[in-house]
Amino acid sequence: MSTILECKSLGKRFGNKPALSDVSLEVARGQIVGLLGPNGSGKSTLIKLANGLLTPSNGKILVGGREPDIETKKIISYLPERTYLNDWMRVHEIIEFFSDFYADFKPEKAYDMLKRLNIDPQDRLRTMSKGTKEKVQLILVMSREADLYLLDEPIGGVDPAARDYILQTILGNYNENGTIIISTHLISDIEKILDYVIFINQGRVILTSSVDDIRDNQGKTVDALFREVFKC
Amino acid sequence: MLGKLLKYEMRATGRTLLPLFLSLLLVAGISRLLFGAGHQKWDVATVISLAVYAVIMAGMFVMTFVVMIQRFYRNLLSDEGYLMFTLPVKPWKHIVSKLLVSMMWIVVSVAVALVSIIIVNYRPGAWTKMITFSGGLGSSAHFLAFIVSALVSLAAGILLIYASIAIGHLVNRHKVLASFAGFIVLNTLTQIVGQVFRSLFHTIQVNSGHFAFAQARSELAIACAIAFMVLLSAAYFAVTNHILAKRLNLE
Repeated sequence: MSTILECKSLGKRFGNKPALSDVSLEVARGQIVGLLGPNGSGKSTLIKLANGLLTPSNGKILVGGREPDIETKKIISYLPERTYLNDWMRVHEIIEFFSDFYADFKPEKAYDMLKRLNIDPQDRLRTMSKGTKEKVQLILVMSREADLYLLDEPIGGVDPAARDYILQTILGNYNENGTIIISTHLISDIEKILDYVIFINQGRVILTSSVDDIRDNQGKTVDALFREVFKC
Repeated sequence: MLGKLLKYEMRATGRTLLPLFLSLLLVAGISRLLFGAGHQKWDVATVISLAVYAVIMAGMFVMTFVVMIQRFYRNLLSDEGYLMFTLPVKPWKHIVSKLLVSMMWIVVSVAVALVSIIIVNYRPGAWTKMITFSGGLGSSAHFLAFIVSALVSLAAGILLIYASIAIGHLVNRHKVLASFAGFIVLNTLTQIVGQVFRSLFHTIQVNSGHFAFAQARSELAIACAIAFMVLLSAAYFAVTNHILAKRLNLE
């Protein structure tokens, strides 16, 4: 049971357009994994398949050995690339909502992070800036003790100064036995926290490797390798 | 989990609908006071307050209907679906929670409309008339049958709309158009099956000697109509649940 996420010739088409083709990979537990690729390469599609928000066209995706269902949803903490919260709710109401539905949600952790970011739990989401909303979502997602965190573009919408804070938040709060998969195209910002990388382009996995292997054996940074592989 | 879903569903819908219900009762009260203050029947203030009353009444029914559709579509099949479908909750519970809360608000809006009509029109002695009138509706068994068939038809109507929206979701583009097409197809199918069901019932009735009495015959007809609506609801529910559980593709 050392594999948390497994894809077996996974494919997804939208109409005639393939978004993912024949993806096979395994992600071991207890790592921080970068899912790296240019825009439109299939990163979000893969993450949504793991969450059961999309149904595969071919093949299988398994989380902890199971196809997405109510049991896998209990162990996945997912940060989507969009705002999925009601804008009329207050932050503390959303925290109650998460506590009600997720057994592994730790409200005290969420309130602590809100305090450090100077976000008032009485505020409504409607009154917040886009960046603040993203921070609230990240706080909610990282306040769970999940086995698998799926973070889709967690740093895409915030300024570079806030990125470091967000990375610290991610690193400081995740369940140590858990696995984090971060999708992004901003590699240099997150390179230093990654253990493992998956390069994806046009719906196909083109490289999987440990970061140590890239650094030691190829003598490159992940960023440099990415630029080389995805050269236009 | 169903209880928690119901709680949040009521909170999310009540914030729109409760103020409407209250304002209808308030305007009904104001109209009543204007009448009571000895104003002429068609005096400007009375006309305005009755016009506002009528608009709010219509608005209340329209909003109850809109909220019913919007909660299903927006909360489950657009951005908010990312949250709802990653909760560890079986899809059928989402459908049931939304169905029950929609039914409840429709019943409440009818009740609020009736109460507001009584507020506007109440005259001394009206109660006795109303009680005599309702006495004419028939036995309590008939009244119960009426309530049950009204609720079952309501459920079937709502589930038909849910199923249509879910069918629209199967298509990649023009989802709203596809939902309308789904509605027309489902509705036509229902009409055909209903027609077959009716003629079948008719044949049985004609060929059976047991139901010579009109009373027993009409009771059987009501029971069959209710059973048919229950079957329809189950079919719409099954279609919706299958799509949400096995064919989900959120954009």
